[in-house]
Amino acid sequence: MPADPNMKILVVDDMATMRRIVKNILKQLGFSNTDEAENGQEALQKLRADTFDFVVSDWNMPVMTGIDMLRAIRADEKLKAIPVLMVTAEAQQANLVEAIQAGASNYIVKPFTAEVMQQKLGKIFK
Amino acid sequence: MQEGSKKLYVELGDLARFVEDAMRTISEVGKPLLSGNSELPQASAHLVDLNKMTEEGTLEVMRLTEMLQDNRSLAVKELAGIVETLEAVDCLGLARRVQKIGLDLGQDDKHLTEIMTALSFQDLVAQRVKKLVTILDDVHGKLMELVVVFGIQQNGDSPADPGKASEMLKQLEATKTSSMKQTVANDILAQFGFK
Repeated sequence: MPADPNMKILVVDDMATMRRIVKNILKQLGFSNTDEAENGQEALQKLRADTFDFVVSDWNMPVMTGIDMLRAIRADEKLKAIPVLMVTAEAQQANLVEAIQAGASNYIVKPFTAEVMQQKLGKIFK
Repeated sequence: MQEGSKKLYVELGDLARFVEDAMRTISEVGKPLLSGNSELPQASAHLVDLNKMTEEGTLEVMRLTEMLQDNRSLAVKELAGIVETLEAVDCLGLARRVQKIGLDLGQDDKHLTEIMTALSFQDLVAQRVKKLVTILDDVHGKLMELVVVFGIQQNGDSPADPGKASEMLKQLEATKTSSMKQTVANDILAQFGFK
């Protein structure tokens, strides 16, 4: 199913600059319905309080990391179907394997371009 | 038997002298290190400031870039409206020229998005700076332990009270998972003759 331009997307990153970059790229790709969280814990609170269709999350964050948040999402009956795209500076093979095992829908290595994001969205919502 | 005890006693004496010499050497080596150690918290603070400054600068560039993106987006929509009007009144030549301007502006929009994504350098720099701060805090903590354990004296005064040293080690242990509080560091350094 192609991505719905109105789908609600949660952008999770402890760095304000990265949240803004991801939101900007999503907007350029036609997705303006976005919200943001500073860490995994805040993201889980928002995911449980509202309805989201897609999560774009950083890996290394204080309070709760992206990978822990991903595991919590997959363990939650109400949230487990939400696609999660991991965006991280960790480019090691072990990290990729860990993300896949935890249930990541796809994986982007920083720095990335709008084209890469578009390509990953295309794969997740095909 | 008595001969054996005497030999053992001499060897123990040699060992004690060796340990004493080693302790003194470590203390001597530690002195120049410790004079630099007092600068470490300041170095960490500079790095944290560096992160803050690059973040503020990056956010300002982003704000301006987003303004340009929004203005261009409005201009492209306006131009599309003008092209439609011109086509409706059969001004096809002019319509193509205006359409070309719209396409050029659209191309610029791609460049503006590239500027936005290029700014992700700030996040990568910030992550590395955070790692550096962690390393500096760790080195600082280890040097402080050295001060306490070996009673290094900058002015050659007598070592601090051993009971107090033990208390300081506990304080150091308590700050291992976080940055050492400057007051703890200052207190320890003062106890060992560092002003």
